[in-house]
Amino acid sequence: MDMVERYLEAVAAQLSAEERDDIVAELRDLILSRVEAKEEALGRPLTDVEREAILKEIGHPLVVAARYRKGPDSLIGPELFPYWLYGVKAGLLILLVVSGIGLFIRLISGTADAGQDIAQAFHGFFGSGLTLIGALTLAGAIMEHYAIRPKWLTDWRVKDLGAFGLSDPSWWGASVKSASDRIGAGAGPARRPMWRTRAMRSPRDFGAEAAFSFLAVGLFVLWWVGLVHFPGLSAIRIDGDLVSVSPAPIWAVLFAPILLYALGQMGIDLFTLIRPQAARMRAVLAILVAVAGLWLTWNIFEAGHWFTLSVGAEQARIAGDGVLLDFDRLRELRNGERDLTGVASTLSLILTWALAISAVSLVYTIVANAWRAVRA
Amino acid sequence: MTIDVELFESMRLELRRGSLVLAVLACLRTERYGYTLRQALAADGLEMEESTLYPLLRRLESQGLLLSEWREEEKRRKRFYVLSPMGTAMLERLAGEWRGINASLDKIL
Repeated sequence: MDMVERYLEAVAAQLSAEERDDIVAELRDLILSRVEAKEEALGRPLTDVEREAILKEIGHPLVVAARYRKGPDSLIGPELFPYWLYGVKAGLLILLVVSGIGLFIRLISGTADAGQDIAQAFHGFFGSGLTLIGALTLAGAIMEHYAIRPKWLTDWRVKDLGAFGLSDPSWWGASVKSASDRIGAGAGPARRPMWRTRAMRSPRDFGAEAAFSFLAVGLFVLWWVGLVHFPGLSAIRIDGDLVSVSPAPIWAVLFAPILLYALGQMGIDLFTLIRPQAARMRAVLAILVAVAGLWLTWNIFEAGHWFTLSVGAEQARIAGDGVLLDFDRLRELRNGERDLTGVASTLSLILTWALAISAVSLVYTIVANAWRAVRA
Repeated sequence: MTIDVELFESMRLELRRGSLVLAVLACLRTERYGYTLRQALAADGLEMEESTLYPLLRRLESQGLLLSEWREEEKRRKRFYVLSPMGTAMLERLAGEWRGINASLDKIL
């Protein structure tokens, strides 16, 4: 089949039956007119590559056909999108809290299998979260398609806006004042400066960060104690061979300190959510946890051996020391070999630098929080 | 002061978008088919992608602003478009609006 006809067939397949022939006939004329004009300019027939270039210029069949489609261009348009996003954010956070409370009650009421309860809570949250997103998307798409705009979308009052803080968890802890008080006190977005330094950020900003950090570190803790498994972490593929990754003894030695460190971080996040205004206390706690982090980083670095890669009898260590903290070695990173030893060397270099950057970042955290503790 | 090229391009397209309908209507005071219409617009400095122009022609026709007819020319059937009476009246109103906006902008700029 001719290339142009194949292209037109792909466009036709996306069009409604009643207008298909008409649109395709017009497109055919357009394409052939362009081909003829180009052939006239070149004084020779076009090659397949040149014909294809013209079709590519006209556009992908899906895009071309979509331009002819009647009705909205998007599933949820710009007018409805903010409402959809709010619904998703607030709904997911409420689901998260409800799942968390349910899990907490099950755990403290003496469960037979805590691991199974946690796994069920995760499963329940993700299942209901996806259902919620799907239902909201379906409702939004129907409203968009039939141009439905309920009265509450257009006829709103300022005094009813308090519930919109629900999509930001930091407001749950900080919302001791009413929405109108917040506006009156100038803490609302309307009076925010165009840019702010970290020191100028409101408790709400810290709250959002803390909520995310709490969930992320919580997930890490569950993985660290073996309640959650991420497939693919214990083996990687190098040149087609499945290479097993075994942790070095240092991780077993530091198992409890790392767990305590993560729990400490979660404690700070929880404290930030409950007492967002307590800036000095938060800074002091952050310093303590960062010092612990620095101690852990140093011990891991000092151990010098972090993982072992093995395939069959062949083994290679992921290990490092101060010698690797050399910019010349970083520049050579892209020239690394793709065999077992080469990958181990590359990972050693990356991990060494990651530890060094982590140490610098922790020192910065200590200094910045010391400054906040003094200023607060 | 350098400006963000991508931002400029998106603002330029936004600026052009509204005026393209006016240009198409004005060009179709004379009967044309899609390909020659695009060439006429390009000759006057208004390049327009086919994927935008052809659906726009169909939309304007469904709104009653254009009339179309399939005819054979140069051994091929082509669809010719021309302004309908309503399209002519609409063009007149829109052109007046455009001149007003232009005059206001000229004063501001």
